[in-house]
Amino acid sequence: MPLEFAKSDALTFGVELELMVLNTRDHDLTRGAPDLLRRLAKAQLPGEVKPEITESMIEVNSAVHRRFPELAADLVQVRDAIVREAGRLNLAVAGGGAHPFHRWSDRRIFPAERFLKVSALYGYLAKQFTVFGQHIHVGVESGDDAVYLTHRMARYIPHFIALSASSPFSQGEDTSFETSRLHAVSAFPLAGHMPPVGSWDEFNRYFDEMAGYGIVASMKDFYWDIRPKPEYGTIEIRIGDTPLTVSAAAELAAYAQCLAAELLRSRREGAVEPLYRVYGYNRFQACRFGFEAMLADPGAHTHIRLREDLLATLYRVQRVASELGCAEAIAAIGARAEAAANDSGWLREQFARTGSLSDVVRLQAERWRDDPAKAAPQEGEVRLRAAK
Amino acid sequence: MAALPFLPDLPLTLSYPLLFGVLLVAGMLGGEAARRLRLPRIVGYVLVGFAIAPVASAMNIGPLLDEARIFVDIALGLVLFDLGRRLDLGWLKRDWTLAASSVGECVLVFAAVFAALSALDFTPLQAGLAAAIAMATSPAVVLLVAQDTRAEGQVTERAFTLVALNSLLASVVVTMLLATVHYEVRLDLTNAVLHPLYLFAGSLALGGAMASVARTLARMLERSPDLHFTLVAGLVVAAVGLAQAGKLSVILALLAFGMFSRNEGRGHELMAVDLGRASRLFYVVLFVITGASLPLSAFETAGWAAAILVAARAAGKLAGVFVFASLGGLRLRQALGLGATLLPMSSIALLLQHDVARLYPEFGQQLAAVLLAALVAMELAGPIAVQWGLRFAGEAEPDRRPAPPVAQGVAGQAR
Repeated sequence: MPLEFAKSDALTFGVELELMVLNTRDHDLTRGAPDLLRRLAKAQLPGEVKPEITESMIEVNSAVHRRFPELAADLVQVRDAIVREAGRLNLAVAGGGAHPFHRWSDRRIFPAERFLKVSALYGYLAKQFTVFGQHIHVGVESGDDAVYLTHRMARYIPHFIALSASSPFSQGEDTSFETSRLHAVSAFPLAGHMPPVGSWDEFNRYFDEMAGYGIVASMKDFYWDIRPKPEYGTIEIRIGDTPLTVSAAAELAAYAQCLAAELLRSRREGAVEPLYRVYGYNRFQACRFGFEAMLADPGAHTHIRLREDLLATLYRVQRVASELGCAEAIAAIGARAEAAANDSGWLREQFARTGSLSDVVRLQAERWRDDPAKAAPQEGEVRLRAAK
Repeated sequence: MAALPFLPDLPLTLSYPLLFGVLLVAGMLGGEAARRLRLPRIVGYVLVGFAIAPVASAMNIGPLLDEARIFVDIALGLVLFDLGRRLDLGWLKRDWTLAASSVGECVLVFAAVFAALSALDFTPLQAGLAAAIAMATSPAVVLLVAQDTRAEGQVTERAFTLVALNSLLASVVVTMLLATVHYEVRLDLTNAVLHPLYLFAGSLALGGAMASVARTLARMLERSPDLHFTLVAGLVVAAVGLAQAGKLSVILALLAFGMFSRNEGRGHELMAVDLGRASRLFYVVLFVITGASLPLSAFETAGWAAAILVAARAAGKLAGVFVFASLGGLRLRQALGLGATLLPMSSIALLLQHDVARLYPEFGQQLAAVLLAALVAMELAGPIAVQWGLRFAGEAEPDRRPAPPVAQGVAGQAR
């Protein structure tokens, strides 16, 4: 039974953001998702807010958009609603890829059938999967385009890692990595990347083979960094930590949209295997060193500093960015790359200043709440009516 | 014997260290026995206390047990401080239903108990004092059972807030009623006004002063949880001593100390250290001594009246929570659970009862017997109610049984 690839408008996009649910006493993770979700279910919001594997997480799904400013405004509106309802429950919510000091064994599996099954199968990996990522969906018109983009986007995965990195601490210690979250993902047997298939048909044959072995039943069983998402008609980039602000999350989605546009416009030729030969090494470099990572370039047989590669790429997508209405987002990313500033750096600064990880989480929750400032109420109302 | 002067005299002198050690170990064993029966550990601690009482009086160490109240005071200090720290006034602003249910349950408990005792022919002042004491929920029981069941969630958090508020309110109302008593008995207006004023202002000032000392010292310390823990524990015990020396209210002073130690809007100097494990040593002894000091005979003399008091109080607590539960977005299950967690009646009530008896012996043997009998019953029923409430609301941690090592397939089970 071949997977049906739902056609969607090319270059539409949206995001999923996994968020921390915290107590306001010492800002450890807490069991707040069920009550928070019940309150949010009554709110009129663009997109959805859903449970995740443990009861200290929630997941925001944005609506589908064409342009960056709309996505950014949407996310601010959802964020404001979450902050308001969390306040009534005396909870705080924050971005960031991993909680710096929670104990995974304290977590509780969200009592939904799917999560209970994951927990029964994966044991402690399920609770350790209490990490917080941003998934970016970009619409494509066909399964073949999805396969093409999934491969070619792999080359840029280190950029997303460096830009989104926001999990330098784990189990109360500085890991020396820019992001520690990806280790929790790598532990799963079906993590990694898509095999080098050349077309949607070929992908289907691979999928059937795996299903035939009884290893997978749906695309969800692949925990790849980038995967085609036939149900939505998108490719899904799952590599990033959840940034500390919604604006950074929207900007990263805009970068993915621009890259996809550029890759579809000037199609790359050549074998994909070399891309994957350096993939694991480059991914590690980006996780460990962020902007200063030295990436292996399989074409040029040389190394290039991630930051320079990123700046060159941003320059290349500038034209496409102004066409798509993302110029502002690309400029913001460019400025961060120039300054080599990411959220992990900010978190380390806060720790150096306060000396307490509990304070770091409090500050990251405040940043999530306040940056960017609240949407003007009238504007919000207009959007709300439009959504109805 | 005189030939060997280095040998101790017999029988051996019982000392505080020995007493503390024995109570601690015996209490712990009782707690573990209770846990095996799936009962809260506190039930075991209290039963050990009940069992120790006759032994103690037979061995004539009753007075020593009374003086061991120092352990009880330290334990209560830690409990009240911890509770004050959890009282977030900002939350009451963000969710008015929480404030409303606090006022609601206190008013309803007061009204119900007052009505019940009036019907039993107690004077209005006696009924009022008992009703005010009945408003207080035992913070030690709620904190300890929540810790034992590793409960987390809205019911647990709301219970902490409501318990802090009703302890506060109960001690304020008792103080005010005592002033009235003072006036009626001695017709001394100056003392009737000044005494409660001194208690309120003095206790709050002490709490505030201790909090600023804590902050100032914390600023000079490295931010390590161990150092901050030692700092907090030391200052809490000192604050108990100061409150007693100054004839202030230990309850108000320590709650205030906890509240002022919260970091809202301040420099966040003091870390939110976990007092849990170390303070358990004192909590165990607290419940054993409480058990030992409760006269079980009160239950025989005033059993029925106590049952009525307990029932009226429970009705008031449940009704108070239910009135605002749905407005606050609580499910029925959560509201029931929350109501149950407010039932324990223990050390705070006992402390208030002692205060009343000390200042106002006219309070009456009979009413004291009713309150003490209610305390005996709730000492056992309270922890069970809290454990049930937290489990029923789904906030206690489910039993951790490792899954059997049966291989399963991956298919269809992704996150």
